[in-house]
Amino acid sequence: MSGIGEARIRLPDRVSRGEVIVVNAIVSHPMDTGFFRDADGNPIPAYFIKDVVVTYGDQEVARFIWTSGISRDPVVSFTLRADREAPLAMTWTDNKGGVFRQSADIRFASA
Amino acid sequence: MSVPHRDEPPRRAFLRGALLAASGLIGSGSLLEQGRLLADWAGDPDPEVPNEEVARILSEISAGRPIRRGHLSLDMPLVAEDGRIVPVIIESDLPMTTERYVKSIHLVVDHNPDAHLAAFHLSPAIGSVSISTRIKMKRTTWVRALARTSDDEVWAAYARVQVTLNGCG
Repeated sequence: MSGIGEARIRLPDRVSRGEVIVVNAIVSHPMDTGFFRDADGNPIPAYFIKDVVVTYGDQEVARFIWTSGISRDPVVSFTLRADREAPLAMTWTDNKGGVFRQSADIRFASA
Repeated sequence: MSVPHRDEPPRRAFLRGALLAASGLIGSGSLLEQGRLLADWAGDPDPEVPNEEVARILSEISAGRPIRRGHLSLDMPLVAEDGRIVPVIIESDLPMTTERYVKSIHLVVDHNPDAHLAAFHLSPAIGSVSISTRIKMKRTTWVRALARTSDDEVWAAYARVQVTLNGCG
């Protein structure tokens, strides 16, 4: 992934009403710990995603609190009970105030 | 990715507990007693708390409730070649209903600079506990996954991961 904050959410191709689906998400971010130095010996300041909010329609369904211990370009997967057609939205916030959003629509496959 | 996976003591313990219950040995025991039994049957003792920082984190997460082994699995490689990218899968058989659900999952890496690495606050809308991500590890250490339920039970699973390359700087 390239630009900081670029994000993708992957849902299953077909979703049935009531099914518990797996959601995969990735955001591009350096997740610098603050413990490393650059090639010139200058410390690289801590720069990481600290908060992830997951909403389904207008309902907050999960919130993750992260540290710089999560690997670069953070991936996370979790489940969701798909009981209605609504957008699944994620907001990643970093420790420098950067806010990154992505969403994916949950729609049910027609029989 | 192909990683060697460890056995899952919580599930094994759960099964043994179920067998005991079926044979009537603990059929009349309270849930709490059964919980203790399950914890005892898990075999290995819980990893020692290495320092005050981890002790503080654990007491913060558990809010004074007993931390019992079970109902949770923590799937990690036995050996992490690269401490910058270590896969983690946390799963649980605990219910996710409005009456009773897992409200948070915590990941604690004993010898990392920031030991309380992540918290995942959940709601019943999630449907099940199945979370995966990738983490950084500084050195060989115990990793602890803890689940706190809506009725304030605390369940744990542990994995010792050998780290070859420091991923934290």
